[in-house]
Amino acid sequence: MGVKVTRREFVKLSAGAGAALGVGRALAGEAPPRPGWRGSQRVEQIATNCEMCFWRCGILAEVADGKVVRITGNPDHPLTHGRLCGRGNAGTELLYDPDRLKYPLLRTGKRGEGKFERITWERALDYFAKRLSELKAQYGPESVALFPHGVASAFFGTLMKAYGSPNHAEPSFAQCRGPRDVGYALTFGRDLGSPEPLDLEQAKLIVLIGSHIGENVFTSQVTAFAEALSRGAKLIVVDPRFSTSAAKADWWLPIRPGTDIALLLAWMNVLIAENGYDEEYIEKYASGFPELQAHVRGFTPEWAEAITELPAADIRETARAMAEAKPAVLLHPGRHTSWYGDDTQRARAMAILTALTGSWGRRGGIFLPTAFKTGKLSLPPFPKSQRGRADGAGTRFPFASEEQGVTNGLVDATLTGKPYPIKGWIIYGQNVLESIPQRQRTLAVMEQLDFIAVVDLMPMEQINYADLVLPEATYLERYDLPHIVTGARRPFLAVRQPAVEPLHESKPGWWIAKEMARRLGLEAYFPWKTPDEHLQALIEPMGINADLLRTRGAVAFEGRPYLEDRLPEDGPLFPTASGKIELHSSSLKEAGFDPLPRYTPVANPPIGYFRLLDGRTPLHSFARTQNNSLLDSLTAENELWINARAAHDLGLRDSQRVVLENQDGVKSLPIKLRATEGIRRDCVYMVHGFGNTSKQLRRAYGRGASDTGLMTRVQVDPIMGGTGMRVNFVRVLRGEG
Amino acid sequence: MAAPTIAQTPRPLTAAETDALSQRQVKKHDVAIMLLHWFNAIVWLVELATGPALLTSSFRVAPWWYIQIVQGFFHSRANMLQFHIAVGITWIVVFVVYGTFGFRTYLKKEVLQREISLDGNDIQWLKIRILRLLGRSTEPLPPQGIYNAGQKLLALMVYAMVPVVMITGLIMTFHLIGTAAVGWAAAIHFAAVGAVVCGLIIHVYMGAVFPEEKPAFFSMITGTVNELYAYTNHFKWWKEVSRVRVEILHEFGPEGAATVSPGAPQKQGKPAEREKHQ
Amino acid sequence: MARYAMLIDLRKCVGCQACAVACDKEWDVPLGFARTHVQPTGVVGSFPKLASGFHVAHCNQCERPSCVAACPTGATHQSPDGIVRIDRGLCIGCGYCVEACPYDARYINPVINQADKCDFCAARLQRGLQPACVATCTAHAKYFGDLEDSNGEVFRMVYERGARRLQTAQVAVGPNVYYLGKKQDVDLVFAKFPPRAPRMAASSEFWSRLLKPLVLAAVGATFLGQAVAFFYQLATGEPDHESQEKT
Repeated sequence: MGVKVTRREFVKLSAGAGAALGVGRALAGEAPPRPGWRGSQRVEQIATNCEMCFWRCGILAEVADGKVVRITGNPDHPLTHGRLCGRGNAGTELLYDPDRLKYPLLRTGKRGEGKFERITWERALDYFAKRLSELKAQYGPESVALFPHGVASAFFGTLMKAYGSPNHAEPSFAQCRGPRDVGYALTFGRDLGSPEPLDLEQAKLIVLIGSHIGENVFTSQVTAFAEALSRGAKLIVVDPRFSTSAAKADWWLPIRPGTDIALLLAWMNVLIAENGYDEEYIEKYASGFPELQAHVRGFTPEWAEAITELPAADIRETARAMAEAKPAVLLHPGRHTSWYGDDTQRARAMAILTALTGSWGRRGGIFLPTAFKTGKLSLPPFPKSQRGRADGAGTRFPFASEEQGVTNGLVDATLTGKPYPIKGWIIYGQNVLESIPQRQRTLAVMEQLDFIAVVDLMPMEQINYADLVLPEATYLERYDLPHIVTGARRPFLAVRQPAVEPLHESKPGWWIAKEMARRLGLEAYFPWKTPDEHLQALIEPMGINADLLRTRGAVAFEGRPYLEDRLPEDGPLFPTASGKIELHSSSLKEAGFDPLPRYTPVANPPIGYFRLLDGRTPLHSFARTQNNSLLDSLTAENELWINARAAHDLGLRDSQRVVLENQDGVKSLPIKLRATEGIRRDCVYMVHGFGNTSKQLRRAYGRGASDTGLMTRVQVDPIMGGTGMRVNFVRVLRGEG
Repeated sequence: MAAPTIAQTPRPLTAAETDALSQRQVKKHDVAIMLLHWFNAIVWLVELATGPALLTSSFRVAPWWYIQIVQGFFHSRANMLQFHIAVGITWIVVFVVYGTFGFRTYLKKEVLQREISLDGNDIQWLKIRILRLLGRSTEPLPPQGIYNAGQKLLALMVYAMVPVVMITGLIMTFHLIGTAAVGWAAAIHFAAVGAVVCGLIIHVYMGAVFPEEKPAFFSMITGTVNELYAYTNHFKWWKEVSRVRVEILHEFGPEGAATVSPGAPQKQGKPAEREKHQ
Repeated sequence: MARYAMLIDLRKCVGCQACAVACDKEWDVPLGFARTHVQPTGVVGSFPKLASGFHVAHCNQCERPSCVAACPTGATHQSPDGIVRIDRGLCIGCGYCVEACPYDARYINPVINQADKCDFCAARLQRGLQPACVATCTAHAKYFGDLEDSNGEVFRMVYERGARRLQTAQVAVGPNVYYLGKKQDVDLVFAKFPPRAPRMAASSEFWSRLLKPLVLAAVGATFLGQAVAFFYQLATGEPDHESQEKT
């Protein structure tokens, strides 16, 4: 299974923490040859990492005659070991997609019309600089907001910070992982990030709450999950739907949607009442236990049964399973956690439970990150904004991440003009009309903006509202920031390097950002001339042999993921204010929020309506991959999961086409019905990312239905600004609408 | 000079006539026809040698030892198939080219008039031969053209089957129409070839083994048969040849006549033009 | 020599189709066709007592392959290591083998107009690599090995951990793809995706059952008849047709 970095080799590679070998050797500029064969054809294998989603599995791109003929997993990659999901294998179909953005476009018609003029990069970048200078002069640099996502967003982030705008926001925070990261950070002092630092392989019990591993496919996570199961790990799945994971579970708890906190509180109740929690661990590392104990006293399984519709016996039995398996209990923190608006509190409950089973920093639980020193580019100081951010991070949403931002906060600000007018949007690698709910608001905003620039790979619908559209090169054609993973048994650094020259007139993100900076007089913030220089500066203090890195694709180090391994240089075990695990959060209390999680009831669906739930499918990433010819040929559309009896009562048949109408009268495109026993009667489920509205995506256009389009209502989490989206209800109408 | 009389019906010949006829040769086949015939013969020989060796499993018709030998000769079964296809395509191309460019000059007369048109005499001939086989007839056989009715039947069958063999072969080689068509083409190819093989058994016997037809066999090499053979077995043709000979004699005189072969296809045109070409 | 086999651990398989995509790319399978299929059983049972699973299906390199018997040219043949291969120089794409496979593992590739199917990535095996599906499987649920290697992983999983193969009393062709998992899970997959009886294409049946005996009989009869005529002619010396009637 490829070459593992042996003890001897890694000593050669890393000169130990902190020692700089002064690796001043210039990089060749191209990856050293790594020849291979495909059939009888000689190929060059470029080690890089994938970006069909954001896991960045290690891949080998096989190149012959300047074409990528095959992508396989990289056996030398420390996390994925040569395994690669279906999307990764289909990366060539993205590279050679005929619908890709090919050259810079300038809008000629009205916003939304989709009329463009093809222009040169020179003209496009000059125009960009001109508009940005104008907006800065007229409204101040804060009037331009950046909506980034993806690996090269760091370059655009630097650009906008240098320009003087503090306004940037990624959807991965407020629409996805944000509530979880804030909840866990408030408890343990660290967020979880991506890839999540989970010791799945060694877990004795895995608990999934609203997580559908197997349909949500991140290669190494699936490998570890499956490995744990084959080693005899028990599995508890809490999900209103009988997912792929649920089919493998020892306990499937078909919980009433929105009541997870009640279940979590009941589990805490049982663990504490029956002394099933890790007493020693809590004694040593946690504060606030007496408050917690008092808080959960009344939250018995019987109390939870009435709320969750789960038998009290099951709640008790599963809690006891946790007690039995601790500390190797992997309560999966989830990833997409923006559900009901009280999601940070639910994450807090999960963090508390993780602490009770003693799993944070223990085998079979959560890894602690082993930081390694990377180099830093020496840049001039960034200008300080007088007016501050507009998205509410740190103010309206006191615990929101200022690094990641609140997308919906920026949309609000642009719409209302408060705290100050926002006149321009730069969108990089983010599909704002699909990732941010209430797309009607986003559309209304986009029609009013003075300037919109989109840098992207594919012609998503949003390009029709942009003034300037710039084609980025795919991950197979560009250099990006190296991938650094610290929360693993073997932390590593992995490169992304181009396998082929950019096709058409597409350009790498770093080049676009650098050229924009130059024209704005900000070249000092991009002091490196080539990506090689940039990479070299980052890896300099690590004593990594750059050629080996480029040939192998990654370099791994020994990690110290467990509490007992930690060294002083790793910093405090729990970097909270108190230095301990905060079961009771004084920070939350001071800010006026519940210091301990509380169950707040969610509204039931009105008669005749179902709660709309969404999820993933293995062959697609969000709304990005539906135009991929190979992935589309295997999974062309999404389906609506509905309880078979509920369907029958409505006179609907399996495989029939239906249309969904939400509580605000918004209708979806037709979608195929899947009448199944595998979902509760009170909800329906569909995979996110279909129902594409961009005609320029010839394969994806109109296939299946969009859940985002139906998310006209959100419940904003006051703690960090997350948009709870599972608060929309739909009724199911027959036929084509 | 007085024109020699031409017999209108086959009648017993005098010894002198028999002798005279057996000395003279009459042209039966053009060079093109002869070449085509032997080309065909070689193709069929080679294809029949390789074709059955290709069939395995429940479709096998050749004994295992034979298949081993042929396979050994080609080193692989794939080579055998490629060879079979190459020869088959060559065969088709030659016929198509020949048929396209040579149709009016050679094939029209040869095929349509001589080889496949059955008249009353032919039917009668067939009836009598069958009855004779059953020992129920002693009637004389009616006069035949350049090819007798039996030969015409073979020709008919070959003309019916050969396009089938060609087309099914093409369907299989180029996967034309679709998979189901290829499956059927394979079966029909086999059957059509089988039918031709039956005809070939008789044809090869008649041509190469049967003594009476020796002149016919050699005519496929020399191009001519002796007149006695023609008179005896293909009287209607001999009659036509004689008529032409008399005409030529009449026109060109004895010396000139020697340069003109009565069996050759005659150029159309007025006598005056023909004189010019002399 | 070797007896190659594959094993699929259904406890681990999540039906992510990485294997199917990798296979498609590895062998340039045209869109709409497949060498490897991942088929969901769907959710069975009554809420909340439910089950579901996945059938990972491709050629089983059977011990008694019905496709080999169906092939008229011998293009489909089995090598000593157990892999059923298709000789690209011999296949005419007649489709008989597609009908014959009880697992519907074959298809006619419209680009090369020949039959195509999984061959355990024979070309990769030659280079010392695992089959593409095994290497890529996100759940590490596919295993490949030699059943004649008693130390091997697959051997142990098959013979010591009771892996099962997909056969019925009616269709017992000896598939070399095994399945491991909880009994009810394997039962479910087997029940949903049983092999069907091998079929003969109509033209295949017409050919082997009717045309072949007919042609053999006709040729034989012609030959015999001609031989009889030959000996008769030798014996009697009589000319077959009249030369003349002497006066």
